[in-house]
Amino acid sequence: MTTVIRQFGLYLGWQFRRASQIVPLLIVVQVVLAVATVIGYGFLIGDAPAPVSLYLATGASTVSLVSVGLIMTPQTVARQRSEGSFDWVRTLPLPRGVLLAADLALWTALALPGMILGLVTGSVRFQVDLAPAPWLPLVALAVAATAACVGYALACLLHPMAAVMISQVLLFSVLLFSPVSYPAQRLPDWLRQIHHWLPVEAMADLMRSGLLRHDFPVQPRDVAVLALWCLAGAAAAVWALRRRV
Amino acid sequence: MSFKPTLVVDQVSKRYHGRSGVQANDRVSLTVPPGQVVGLLGHNGAGKTTLVGQIVGLLRPDSGRISLAGHDAVAHPGLARQLTSVQVQTNCALEGITPRTAIRTIGRIRGGGRAEVRARTDQLIDALDLEPWADRPSEQVSGGVARLTAFGMAAVVPGVLTILDEPTNDVDPVRRRLLWGQIRGLAERGTAVLLITHNVREAEQVVDRLVVLERGQVVAAGDLAELTDQGRIPLEDAYIALCGRPHDQAPPPASDPDSTTDLDRTTDMDHTTDPDRSGADPYHSSAASEEVRS
Repeated sequence: MTTVIRQFGLYLGWQFRRASQIVPLLIVVQVVLAVATVIGYGFLIGDAPAPVSLYLATGASTVSLVSVGLIMTPQTVARQRSEGSFDWVRTLPLPRGVLLAADLALWTALALPGMILGLVTGSVRFQVDLAPAPWLPLVALAVAATAACVGYALACLLHPMAAVMISQVLLFSVLLFSPVSYPAQRLPDWLRQIHHWLPVEAMADLMRSGLLRHDFPVQPRDVAVLALWCLAGAAAAVWALRRRV
Repeated sequence: MSFKPTLVVDQVSKRYHGRSGVQANDRVSLTVPPGQVVGLLGHNGAGKTTLVGQIVGLLRPDSGRISLAGHDAVAHPGLARQLTSVQVQTNCALEGITPRTAIRTIGRIRGGGRAEVRARTDQLIDALDLEPWADRPSEQVSGGVARLTAFGMAAVVPGVLTILDEPTNDVDPVRRRLLWGQIRGLAERGTAVLLITHNVREAEQVVDRLVVLERGQVVAAGDLAELTDQGRIPLEDAYIALCGRPHDQAPPPASDPDSTTDLDRTTDMDHTTDPDRSGADPYHSSAASEEVRS
């Protein structure tokens, strides 16, 4: 166990050093994306009534967490696969779970500034008084880790170019066609049924419950869906890392 | 004196499925004993890197057996990676990391103690003449220095087997000699070294034994004396006779003993035009496959 923890720390440090040059840019992009989502939706909606404001103010934080995992993670892994460094890392005597955990820790840390600034901007822009629940950090970690696991598995299993293109489609889908910044009731029935089983709606609902715990009680089904996707995503990512063709 | 081989590759075959369906390895057999440098010579596409992928558990052989220090490497890929250090052919993407930090960190990840790794890192940096660049971010160093750094990362805690895939690419002639010395040094410390190269000059300088791979098959194996008919035939000529050469390109001048003889530039990569090799050279008869000896 000590060896695993030491290897995790060493590899996390390695990955952080490697990313150190682009970390400031990544954080700026995340912050801009989160803030722009809040302000842009404000332009679209105009003077939003109170219930709509609650969705808009909290949706950006979910978008920020999900976008790092589903978009930046696959793009980064695809680049590492193309340049060959991904296979080199896989020759190191590191358990696959350690590789995944270190990458998840890095990507989750990168997602947090955008999430926080998106929240601050949203609460100011839409004049929403946030009431964070004590378990909010746990949900934020679960959302970020789930998205990153799914993104990681996609990037391992698909051709690098396909992974990059799919990540862009996912960004578009999360921003516009997922019940993150608006209620699911606005979606057509068929799309609502699909989102019933996908993780994004559960992620957004739980983040909203964690931020506005008096207005949006926790739905047990959301917890179950997120937990299942988190476990399935981690299992898929480890399987993809272990896979030998 | 015979040693039980550290690495035994026994009749390993690997085919990439898909539209082109390439047979990357075809019943490849070779052994690497401890304390020896075995060269795996062949031009691009010969199946060398595919073989490495199977030894360290990145690829699964279709058939055959790979044994590493007595363990089944195919069944236990995690153990194979603990026992093997690898310098891959591609770059390791070291941006943001200095050569010294890179070598130290990989040494620690490979299980070396802090003091031991620090001492070995400093020793490698000194031996490879890397000191002027050792504390610069790797994006500010040349490709050759990055390549030497990658060697250092493989050699700092080498395991029982070290695989070096084209280690001297981009390395200048002076440091190439230093690197060859360090490769021999690894073997003298008891490590089994599998040196993958398409540089005949490198093979002549460093290896104890040589295995020639062509279109996924072992076409010759032996020590340099055997492969060169006791030195009567230059190794490069022997290699070209085994693997073919272009119709209209002369081999590069051999006046510079350190010149990289990149056989990709001097051999025919279009296998449909391979000359008939049967009976054309004295090595082909021993080419079927290297026997797995223990």
